[in-house]
Amino acid sequence: MAAQISETDQINQFQEFLGIYNKLTETCFLDCVQDFPTREVKPKESTSLSAKAEVLGQPR
Amino acid sequence: MDPLRAQQLAAELEVEMMADMYNRMTSACHRKCVPPHYKEAELSKGESVCLDRCVSKYLDIHERMGKKLTELSMQDEELMKRMQQGSGPV
Repeated sequence: MAAQISETDQINQFQEFLGIYNKLTETCFLDCVQDFPTREVKPKESTSLSAKAEVLGQPR
Repeated sequence: MDPLRAQQLAAELEVEMMADMYNRMTSACHRKCVPPHYKEAELSKGESVCLDRCVSKYLDIHERMGKKLTELSMQDEELMKRMQQGSGPV
């Protein structure tokens, strides 16, 4: 009973995924990173990012 | 779809994605690092340093999110597979 996804749909799905990926990156960056004392991501920011991604990445 | 065509398509979509990322990153780092004072035309030393670090962090985060999403979508796939197996022949 496997539904065959049409080629066009697969492409659109992938494109949508990539769009979401970029928006996720942007949102998490804007929310979790406030200052730039160094080039590295701070541990506190890292925790915030994981938490944020987890929340945003949940299926509805 | 033949694999070569699929590869080509994926590459095109990836380029599109990178272009979008570039725009978002530029916008975000401009917002974070360049206060809207505009007293002079050149970027100050402080602004330049900030931008350098901002880009570094943004790219790092972009990579992490990629891994996270892959992880999440694999979890989804696992779940789907198990659900399909579960609803097999009665």
